[in-house]
Amino acid sequence: MSVHIFGIRHHGPGSARSLRDALEQLQPDAILVEGPPDADPLLPLLTAPKMQPPVALLLYVPDQPHRCVYYPFAVFSPELQALHYGLTNNIPVRFIDLPQAHQLADKPTSTDQPTPEPSDAINNVPNNSDTEADKIRFDPLGWLGKAAGYSDGERWWEHMVEQRRNSVDLFAAILEAMSALRGETQQSEEPIEAQREAYMRSCIRAASESYQKIAVVCGAWHSPALAQMPPEKEDNVLLKGLPKIKVQATWVPWTYGRLAYSSGYGAGVQSPGWYHHLWTTPDQVVIRWIVEVAQLLREQDLDASSANLIEAVRLAESLAALRDRPLAGLAELNEATQAVLCFGSDLPMRLIHEKLIVGERLGEVPDDTPMIPLQQDLVKQQKRLRMPAEVTQKTLDLDLRKPNDLERSHLLHRLTLLGIAWGELQRTSGKKGTFHELWRLQWQPEFVVTLISSGIWGNTISEAAASYARDIADRAKELPILTRLLNQVLLADLPHALSHLMTRLQTEAAIASDIAHLMAALPPLTNILRYGNVRKTDTEMVSHVVDGLVARICIGLPGACASLDDDAATAMYEKLNCVNSAITLLQNNDHLASWHKVLTQMSEQGLNGIISGRCCRLLLDAGKFDADEAARRMGLALSTANEPPQSAAWVEGFLKGSGLLLLHDDKLWQVLDSWVSQLSGDTFTALLPLLRRTFSTFSHPERRQMGERVKRGNVRLDISSVDADFDQRSADAVLPIVAQLLGVSYK
Amino acid sequence: MSDENRTAKTPRTPRKKTAVEKETEGTVTLTLLREHAEQQFGHELEELAKVDTRQRPPNWKMSPWAVTTYLLGGKLDNGFEVSPKYIGDRRIIEIAVATLTTDRALLLIGVPGTAKSWVSEHISAAVAGDSTMLIQGTAGTSEEAIRYGWNYARLLADGPSMQALVPSPLMRAMQDGKIARVEELTRIPADVQDTLITILSEKTLPIPELNSEVQANRGFSVIATANDRDKGVNDLSSALKRRFNTVVLPLPKTIEEEVEIVQRRVESLGRALELPAEPPALEEVRRIVIIFRELRSGITEDGKTKIKSPSSTLSTAEAISVVNSGLALAAHFGDGRLHSADIASGLIGAVIKDPVQDRVVWREYLETVVKERDGWKDLYRACRDEM
Repeated sequence: MSVHIFGIRHHGPGSARSLRDALEQLQPDAILVEGPPDADPLLPLLTAPKMQPPVALLLYVPDQPHRCVYYPFAVFSPELQALHYGLTNNIPVRFIDLPQAHQLADKPTSTDQPTPEPSDAINNVPNNSDTEADKIRFDPLGWLGKAAGYSDGERWWEHMVEQRRNSVDLFAAILEAMSALRGETQQSEEPIEAQREAYMRSCIRAASESYQKIAVVCGAWHSPALAQMPPEKEDNVLLKGLPKIKVQATWVPWTYGRLAYSSGYGAGVQSPGWYHHLWTTPDQVVIRWIVEVAQLLREQDLDASSANLIEAVRLAESLAALRDRPLAGLAELNEATQAVLCFGSDLPMRLIHEKLIVGERLGEVPDDTPMIPLQQDLVKQQKRLRMPAEVTQKTLDLDLRKPNDLERSHLLHRLTLLGIAWGELQRTSGKKGTFHELWRLQWQPEFVVTLISSGIWGNTISEAAASYARDIADRAKELPILTRLLNQVLLADLPHALSHLMTRLQTEAAIASDIAHLMAALPPLTNILRYGNVRKTDTEMVSHVVDGLVARICIGLPGACASLDDDAATAMYEKLNCVNSAITLLQNNDHLASWHKVLTQMSEQGLNGIISGRCCRLLLDAGKFDADEAARRMGLALSTANEPPQSAAWVEGFLKGSGLLLLHDDKLWQVLDSWVSQLSGDTFTALLPLLRRTFSTFSHPERRQMGERVKRGNVRLDISSVDADFDQRSADAVLPIVAQLLGVSYK
Repeated sequence: MSDENRTAKTPRTPRKKTAVEKETEGTVTLTLLREHAEQQFGHELEELAKVDTRQRPPNWKMSPWAVTTYLLGGKLDNGFEVSPKYIGDRRIIEIAVATLTTDRALLLIGVPGTAKSWVSEHISAAVAGDSTMLIQGTAGTSEEAIRYGWNYARLLADGPSMQALVPSPLMRAMQDGKIARVEELTRIPADVQDTLITILSEKTLPIPELNSEVQANRGFSVIATANDRDKGVNDLSSALKRRFNTVVLPLPKTIEEEVEIVQRRVESLGRALELPAEPPALEEVRRIVIIFRELRSGITEDGKTKIKSPSSTLSTAEAISVVNSGLALAAHFGDGRLHSADIASGLIGAVIKDPVQDRVVWREYLETVVKERDGWKDLYRACRDEM
């Protein structure tokens, strides 16, 4: 019986290569790998043809999926290579780390976290630990490389390995180095570390009873602890009475971006793309890398001639020589690329970093990976709608008139509702019409966790989204939340949720005392009612709710507008405008009539000036008041008997934001003009400050034009008088041409 | 008017003083105003050469390692301390030196005052022991200045021959296998710039008049400096650009770095100019560096207040000259110690390049930032008096 310990560097291609050689030489009859034993049943999937690294083992607590850990594996991870070797050669492979059933049970519950933070389980380095000792514990071999003067531990390793023939000896040397290192650094270890190592040792003991040649693959740091076996009793004491919890495991696709440090992932590698290159390139690492860089630059229409490539390689090599390094590493290559190929600029370097050094590779898992039904449904829909999950950002222009695009839009909206922001809706510009949707798609591996946690809501995406929406609706206390949700539900096409939501909306609206909420709810609903047809939604129910809303607003508004201070009045002013345009949009005569009635009522009440002024103006625009009536009301509001601030507010409400309109709307102009002209000189002087307050908000050219218009005198362009000599026959003759120009059929 | 007279006088004073005649043993020798790098730091180069056992590229005076050590400073094995010539990122110098080992030409780019010429001079001094093969680029630089000219008397007398040819510094550098320096490459008209293409790619300079050519010996290379910010520059053609390895020299990253640069240069210049003033207090240098950095970046060092930037570049080199002229003022008109009044005039001269706009910027800065700062009252008053 013999146990061989292989201390490796996590995600180190050099380690992976030597480990593979060493295993082939050793021909073990069992392979034990540092990893969660909870995932042992999933291991055979690794050899499935559709399994494409990078992938990660996801272990989660079934009822609280946000309590989870990931074990990422890239193609160059030594663990993955060891597992792969064992599985393809029919050698039993097993994980031997402390099971996550214990580790997750031990972790404090953080139920309030909406998104799971990827915590690294392989090395168990807390994300915030920055002390030197912790760094060394995480990547001892990288630090040895640094001590030897290399910028990159991988290159040091490669250099070391290339000079050695016998890889087994090499691992013995690592074991020795680590023992020395562990002896030197202070042991500030948490109990969990000791427990993990104890568990690994007990696994090795158990395995040594049935196997002869055992290979143990673990992080280099742990190797000395596994090489010396303390009495079995000590370990048993450490492992006694550990808490336990039920966990489930599955494979999820992973990305190189997630493996990199830059995405805030505590224990990763800085340059997965470079490591991938080191792993896949058999020889001439430097040259092949520079060629890849050149191809990338050429794709972006940047110059990269072969002559320059030669120079870049030469510069990288002489830089390495200058730094007494036998091989050019990534640092040298980057510097050479910047000096030779990028003319010193760092913009192309950012591109190279993103696309090559980190890389955009997304893994793939086989179809028979255990998945919850919701996940399976999503995969099915993605396939059907031809929307593969991709890591690169992509824009998708959907034409909702096409059935396929409509379904895609539904899917994206449903996922957004569930909190999976795969697509982000962009503001469409240029294209008029409500049948276009512009999405920006980017898949994040963590979405899987949200998906799993959404599993409680249903087994298909639409079912889950609907019951989730129903749940929110039940818990919503305020009307605006409901209307926002309503909008989402309509976009996501969830008829089951819709009817429920409408009932909720109606009950909430009935008891809502805050008229402002009702007013805020109206505009989105009218939008749906007016433009809902494209989405083929049933608008009858919406119109029912809208009817109720309009009625309630009309009843409650005068009361709500009474005794408002200036700030509240300004807020109400905005709402008044929104509701007015919403009701105008509806083109429902009943609603219009009752709305105008309430406006008339309000313009007569002694409300805050800005409100009554606006009411008067809205009625003027709607044609309820004629110019004379409006002028009369203006005179009334601005009489000297009124408080000056009140009068000023009235003018503000009447004219706010319509400087340009005043110039071009004859009716409005006449109202103002006739009012001003009938004032006596003294009254005018007295009122001037009040008018100034509003007029000073108009832009300078507007005021100048108004002045010019006044100077020209009383030029009345009376549009309404045009129809006196209207010739029906001549007009009819033009219509076919107009219809042709507009592209509509003329009957 | 009296202010202007005073500022106008200051630069003249040190020159008079330093070109002073020294009489030694009856013979009259003139001391140089400014020594070449290889003269000023000759002893350092010698010491380095003593310990340098590494492999040297052909015709180099020392190994690439020794060149980088010379530029960046450090302690040698025999205990000799090499002073740093360039304070900043180590990798920049490494890339520059490595470029020269690959027989590629080196292009140093940066905003004015980022030590481009300084680095180029010291590298060529260390590599070839000679930093004098210099072509100064101007709008009037002609092809003859880059390739070769003719001695017309001989040309007319003997006809075209090698003897009638007047070689340019570049041509001499090719023959001797040394490093040629082209200063301000982007100031040279574009068509003249392109003369360099053949020299850089073929390493040969054809002389069609004599049906002959000059081939570069090993060790030859070109270091060019260029400026990407100034007005009136001619962009390099891409054909020429491709023949250079480009290294961008950045502005100093931190205050500490910049203070060190100013302090060191002022000290060594003061020594060379034999100013009788005390070396400036670190605090005074730091104040100037802070003012320069703040005005340059348009934001105060604490990152809280935005300020306008003047049209001047406000490089580190200018900060050095402000301290220097302040020292000269203090030495000759003051008590030999650098006070804020001595700096004020130099400071204003450096900041206000455009008499109208920059004056406003400077006043705003004075009133909003300098006035408020603890312990800066003296500087504020001095600057107010100067305006």
